[in-house]
Amino acid sequence: MNINVKGTEEYGNQSYAELFKRILVDLGLANRIEEARMVILPEKPLFLISVRTRKARTTVRLDDIASVEEKGSNTYLNITNESYAPVLLANLWKRFGRERIEQLSRLEILCHGIGSDLLKSIELDPGQELKKELLDALWRLMPEGFKVHHTLASDTVMTIAATEHLMTDELISLAKQLQVDMESSTLSESESGSEDEEDEEEDG
Amino acid sequence: MYEVLMFDGGVYRIDELYELVEDIGGFVIQKTQLQVAITVTIAIPSEDRPIIENKTKELGGKLVEVPLAGTEIAVVAPTLGRHHMPHPVCDIAEHMRRYGAITVVMGLARGKGRATAQITADEKAFIEEYDAAIFVLGNFADCIMKEKVRLFEHIEIPVIVVCGPDISSLPNCEALVCGIGRKAERMRRADEIVKLEETATSVEAAIFKRRKLIDEDPLCVHPAEVKQRVDELESVKQSLRPSPIVLHLDGLRVKVPYDQCKEMLGDIDIFGRKLRDLTVISPSRLGGSTMVRILTMAQLRTRDKAQPKP
Repeated sequence: MNINVKGTEEYGNQSYAELFKRILVDLGLANRIEEARMVILPEKPLFLISVRTRKARTTVRLDDIASVEEKGSNTYLNITNESYAPVLLANLWKRFGRERIEQLSRLEILCHGIGSDLLKSIELDPGQELKKELLDALWRLMPEGFKVHHTLASDTVMTIAATEHLMTDELISLAKQLQVDMESSTLSESESGSEDEEDEEEDG
Repeated sequence: MYEVLMFDGGVYRIDELYELVEDIGGFVIQKTQLQVAITVTIAIPSEDRPIIENKTKELGGKLVEVPLAGTEIAVVAPTLGRHHMPHPVCDIAEHMRRYGAITVVMGLARGKGRATAQITADEKAFIEEYDAAIFVLGNFADCIMKEKVRLFEHIEIPVIVVCGPDISSLPNCEALVCGIGRKAERMRRADEIVKLEETATSVEAAIFKRRKLIDEDPLCVHPAEVKQRVDELESVKQSLRPSPIVLHLDGLRVKVPYDQCKEMLGDIDIFGRKLRDLTVISPSRLGGSTMVRILTMAQLRTRDKAQPKP
């Protein structure tokens, strides 16, 4: 993972790079992030961050991550891939309501009055989950007082500009430029076929 | 001048230590017994320290310096959000406790941001109830020097500022410790421990200065002496709050509601006088607590002259 920070204060730049690394490790996202760039200008004030994630895992079907067993009108699920358990449970609750989905133990779920065919057709998209987790990491990192945000997002790149009072056109154009730079560096890497970043550290 | 020390040893013949402390005019501030082990925090006249050292050796214990014992220190963060808590605010508070202080962590209601950061008069008055305040700030010098300095101006107790960037000086504060900014993990590396030590040393120096100042016009009675009498009150004995009595440099905080205990506190007899004559008893801004500020000798003389004798 490559983290570049540009800004007017060296201490702040270094500490925010460290802080972001630490937050990503805490949330288990360190190996999901490919590159992050920050621009921190306290005198404007502006906090700008752009993050490029690795490609998320492909969409999975429910019967790939759990064994499905129909018992009368109910269906019993035994989750075999633990990492999907929270996403699956949240998904089932959202679709069928909490009264029909009973969590028997950490990895066992009983679905009342739901057929196995319907359950097997459910697909989970880990990409959405990654975006949620990444947003959580960015919220933890961004200065608390910078409440005015402008967000730009594509499939793999997310850019957030944060300031204290007014989001000016100048700040938005900086954010757009950074988003374009991050997206184009993805393209150039995929064109060259290289996986390693060789960008120079740009401490301000 | 009183010196605060902690005896760490066993319960065998511990009464001899208590008697000796009393004989030399000192006080027992706190006793914590764990089966046969005991730690006793004592305040003794500085010149009598060798006597206590000899007794400690005789009893097979050891004396530990707790320079911040008998103080209550506020550790103030811009907010109570996860951007500031638990690290480094709680790490600093925990480290102060190792030096004997009682610490309180607080977050301002609107301390976040740059130009929007503010502190209310009520919050300042709340902080002023403590012996010293440590303000824990962030990573950018521009923000701290231009905006955050307003948070701790006009505070009447020593303020120690802890921040990340290397700043040579700041107005409105007694001491400045640089190199501790925002953190997402516990301060446990060697260089971080050094910074915590530096913070403790700065607080210690500020407290020492304040003690010296108090000694120029000494209190009419030592807070530990008042504590001993207040300890005997039934409502204090029944209080379930941790440390129902907290010593301050110039008084104490009693964690029972003012309305319920002001008369009982005022009626306490100390050297033939009522506590209400020797102190100012007032409600604390910390809910359900009462502040007892001890008058200095000069203040007591002035008050005595002003009041007609019965």
